[in-house]
Amino acid sequence: MDLRFAEGAIVRDDFFLVETERFQGPLDLLLHLIRTQDIDVFDIPVARITDQFLKAIEGLGAEDLDSAGEFLETAATLIRIKAQMLLPREGDDEDEDPRAELVRRLLEYEQIREISQRMRASEADRGRRFSKGFIPARPKLLHQEMPLETTWADVLSAALAVEMPTLRQGLHRVTTRTISMQEKVVLILDRLQGQSGIEFSRLLKGFGDTMHGVMTFLASLELTRRRVLFLRQSEPFSELWLYRREEDEDGGSTDVGVIEVDS
Amino acid sequence: MNTPQIVEAVLFASDAPLTPSEIARADERLDEDQVEEALQMLKAEYEDAQRAFHLTEIAEGYQILTRPEFAPYLERFDNVPRANRLSGPSLETLAIIAYRQPIGRIEIEYIRGVNSSGVIRTLQDRSLIDIVGRGDGLGRPLLYGTTQHFQEHFGFASLDDLPRPDELPIILKDRMPLQESEGDLDEEGTPAMSDLGENPAEEQPDNSVNESAKDVVL
Repeated sequence: MDLRFAEGAIVRDDFFLVETERFQGPLDLLLHLIRTQDIDVFDIPVARITDQFLKAIEGLGAEDLDSAGEFLETAATLIRIKAQMLLPREGDDEDEDPRAELVRRLLEYEQIREISQRMRASEADRGRRFSKGFIPARPKLLHQEMPLETTWADVLSAALAVEMPTLRQGLHRVTTRTISMQEKVVLILDRLQGQSGIEFSRLLKGFGDTMHGVMTFLASLELTRRRVLFLRQSEPFSELWLYRREEDEDGGSTDVGVIEVDS
Repeated sequence: MNTPQIVEAVLFASDAPLTPSEIARADERLDEDQVEEALQMLKAEYEDAQRAFHLTEIAEGYQILTRPEFAPYLERFDNVPRANRLSGPSLETLAIIAYRQPIGRIEIEYIRGVNSSGVIRTLQDRSLIDIVGRGDGLGRPLLYGTTQHFQEHFGFASLDDLPRPDELPIILKDRMPLQESEGDLDEEGTPAMSDLGENPAEEQPDNSVNESAKDVVL
């Protein structure tokens, strides 16, 4: 989308030149242009209004693409209507005035605004009538009635006794993973050699580091993805079981050598 | 204990509007008609006695509320939480939803001419609107409607209390539903079609090519 025109500053050489932020959207702006110039909505001078509309959105910042897009869309609609008005129309009776849909939208929008104003009044009305519980209960004053037993000297010495924490200096070393997933893949396949299933926890026996658990889990997910095994858990937090997939007929080889693990 | 007294006790103890059937739950011998009758009696009684409060019909129920002329006195208690007034865009969006419910976001945005998802979220957070269903259109869009709290906020007894500016030429309820051909629906329209947009032959009836092409992609 070409937004070059939006870089220009607002030129205040006409009364209708406006800041777009003041308007809630393109329809609001359009309505403003029409109403402030006493234009008949049912006979909008499209060429003039389009010029004014484009001029009004000249200062629109490209930084707010969302609202800029909304204004541009309406500008495009205006230009399309302008073009349609210039073209000779065949069978005038049949064709709808190209402005009809826009006019309908404008009137509808104006009506919404009118209703909003009345709802605003209702809201204010309601705000002047109060229900029970409007004035909150009196707060309990118990703590004020209790005499203060500490003296200011106590408070001061307590404050001085507080040690400012020293910021920890030093470098943090990031170490590479020492446990490879490949290693765990081999382990899982090895342990599944003689049996169809094994508990996840059993695979972790003998390895202390939590990292072993993580890598074993990743390895089992990888193997599941490669359709070598499937995982089963009867309920949340219960034992996780790894099962070997039996069907090999679709050519899926379970050969360890084929499995390449990215790390 | 007579019926008006029981009704009065229930209303007095409540800080939210109550319907006659809710009030009738106070005693097995009460039915809605009796409650309704008692409500009218109490209403007239407060009026005659020039009490500082009204028995107000609000949000399809009844509630005891102070009369507006006492607001200046009550407003002096400045530690009181006040209901926030709605912003212009919120009010505008709410008006559209109130008149056209159930209505989806796309249609709201077409009427307003601006993106409205943020405003809709705010109104939902404030319990003024809620999701009331799903439309038949593409993606089965969420449809919104107003809540009971909406009526409470504006002091409406029912949705019939919404202002009806008859002098304006278009009655919102009568507006035709959006036509898909208007092009404004394309925003969330047909992703499958835009995927194939590079192919100018897509309009042709020969769909088999596109079908197989999609299979390859998948």
